[in-house]
Amino acid sequence: MRTNYRVNSGTRFHVFSKDQLEQLFWDTLHILEYTGLDVHHEEAREILKKAGAWVDGIRVRLPSYMVRKALSMAPRSFTLWARDGDPKKNIHIGPGRAHFGPGPTCPNFIDPYTLERRPYIKGDAELVAKVVDALPNIDFCESLGSISDVHVDLSALYEFAYMFPNTSKPIVAWSFRWDDSEAIHKIAITEAGGQEAFERRPNYVHYCEPVSPLVSTFEALDKLIFAARHRVPLVFTPCPIAGATAPCTLAGLIAQAAAESWMGLTLAQTIAPGLPFFMGGVTSILDMQTMIFSYGAPELALAECGLTELAHYAGLPLWNTGGCTDSKTLDEQAAIEGSFSVMAAALCGGDLTHDVGYTESAMTGSLFQLCMMDEAIGWSRRVTRGIEVNEETLAVEVIKSVGPNGHYLRHPHTRKFFKTEFWYPTLCDRHNYEEWKAAGSLPMRERVIAKVREILETHTPPPIKKETRDVIEKVLADAEARAKSGDTKKK
Amino acid sequence: MSKILEQLATAIIEGDIDNTPKLVQKALDEGLEPLTILNDGMVMGMNEVGRRFKAGDMFVPEVLMSAEAMQAGLKVLRPLLVASGAKLLGKVIMATVQGDLHDIGKNLVGMMCEGAGFEVIDLGFDVPAERIVQAVKEHKPDIVGLSALLTTTMRQMAYTIKALEEAGLRDKVKVMVGGAPVDEEFAKKIGADGYGSNAAAGAELAKKLVGAA
Repeated sequence: MRTNYRVNSGTRFHVFSKDQLEQLFWDTLHILEYTGLDVHHEEAREILKKAGAWVDGIRVRLPSYMVRKALSMAPRSFTLWARDGDPKKNIHIGPGRAHFGPGPTCPNFIDPYTLERRPYIKGDAELVAKVVDALPNIDFCESLGSISDVHVDLSALYEFAYMFPNTSKPIVAWSFRWDDSEAIHKIAITEAGGQEAFERRPNYVHYCEPVSPLVSTFEALDKLIFAARHRVPLVFTPCPIAGATAPCTLAGLIAQAAAESWMGLTLAQTIAPGLPFFMGGVTSILDMQTMIFSYGAPELALAECGLTELAHYAGLPLWNTGGCTDSKTLDEQAAIEGSFSVMAAALCGGDLTHDVGYTESAMTGSLFQLCMMDEAIGWSRRVTRGIEVNEETLAVEVIKSVGPNGHYLRHPHTRKFFKTEFWYPTLCDRHNYEEWKAAGSLPMRERVIAKVREILETHTPPPIKKETRDVIEKVLADAEARAKSGDTKKK
Repeated sequence: MSKILEQLATAIIEGDIDNTPKLVQKALDEGLEPLTILNDGMVMGMNEVGRRFKAGDMFVPEVLMSAEAMQAGLKVLRPLLVASGAKLLGKVIMATVQGDLHDIGKNLVGMMCEGAGFEVIDLGFDVPAERIVQAVKEHKPDIVGLSALLTTTMRQMAYTIKALEEAGLRDKVKVMVGGAPVDEEFAKKIGADGYGSNAAAGAELAKKLVGAA
């Protein structure tokens, strides 16, 4: 018998030591306790005050016990459910698991047929959802854009209404305010079979974004309150810019992002104890030459890994970022930046890693980037799966039976393992030169374009229920009427 | 196609080494001709294997299982084919050239050729040109398949072809070449009749060289 034999079941790496994590954790609590945040939502301030917060005007400071209590209530492990119940499409959030999906709200889109950069329009959300549904390494759906050809108040609702029927994978939804949150929720619970059924098996996540530095806006908190009261799992993610809206140093960037997210956490857990909550933070740098917020910088990937470690130390899953690029087109830069950040997210176990498919520093969504990154995610997942070490995989007896100058190709051991031990690419080409030439000498770019078009032309997502289709029609009609009447009230 | 031939093709595709000889025997018991069993059952299965491999739907270890099933079936069938004087697709001599100890690739091509319906004579590895010339005289093959894995030994292919010329045998056989460092360009340069980039392509090429594909 072996004793004290320690097993690594996957490949992981660490940015911080335990001491560093402890320091980051307590300094984040220090920021919340002594500096606090401006909270632009009266009801939120009242709820927090009642729970023990110190409130001075709009400034809210949280004694550290409040945050720790909230952390103790939020689950580290839970499931996001595919709307059609397909177990392969469920997302099990928990230690050692990274998941990937696109991001929201890019103003532009690369047209999959003309290859032109143009404004994001209605039908695009359908295309994105379809491709997400078909790609094996993309786990959840966002739209990769904001619909430009509908009433300005309705783009989030239209997005959800177009995505929902076209993928059964869990969706991460954003909204402008309470009423479109409500409409989105109505669609989701209809398909789930009612509010209670939804609470047991949530099929979407609500996304809210506070402002850096240290501001909880009315809209972000109003949507958070909506989600908490309806028990919709939450993403609460600031977007601090190192050197501009956050400290230039990555440790300070991470601590500030954590403080901003944990204000949301504390409010959400006070309203709805145990609500699944993704700590957030798109943490990157202001490029000091071009003034862009970089989506391809190594600091993005590194800070995201650090933030993920802090989240896991605190017992929360993280809304990670990766698979994105500053490049304007599907080229070598896009491949390098996207692949490295995907690999980093996979290594640190970024629970939901979004923005896969962002190009041009989040200005343009690209199905091609998304599709190319599906391959990079597959590659990374093979690495993070690690090397299993046991009698059978060490294969000492097999090595003996084959012996010098033999071969393993026809050995039963090879037949048993070659499909699971090796990863098989679908886009990276391994043919020899002649075969590659005979197939048209296609570079990666052309193969990616062909694959995206093939999915768009052939993939049929699982259908939604008839009553859900009816509800979608109704909520869109109601929303159009509301927009026409100029109703802009918040609730 | 009769039911038994269909089952036989399926057994080959699935690489069912145990069942294939039994199905061959069953087909014989049902009164089918050996050549019919080979061409309309087993070779049909092997052709499908080649097609799937090319399309990326089958992998090398699986193709090998199919080839082994094919061999297991041929063991039952071969004496009867010889006795009936039935004509196979052709005869192939396989060899890894002198100085090169690598024979996995050559063996794979041999198995695939057998699977395609050829008779294969394997001379092994580190085979000098003289032995190949002698074997061509003795066996009168349709094709000689030469293999090399090393850039240092691939020129032995050229010497072997030259030896065949000098012996006056070059126009009596087709020569196909393969191996990691070899390509179409090199094959042309040394005067070979064709180049196969992998085992399945080698068998395809052999069929082409005897005018069967």
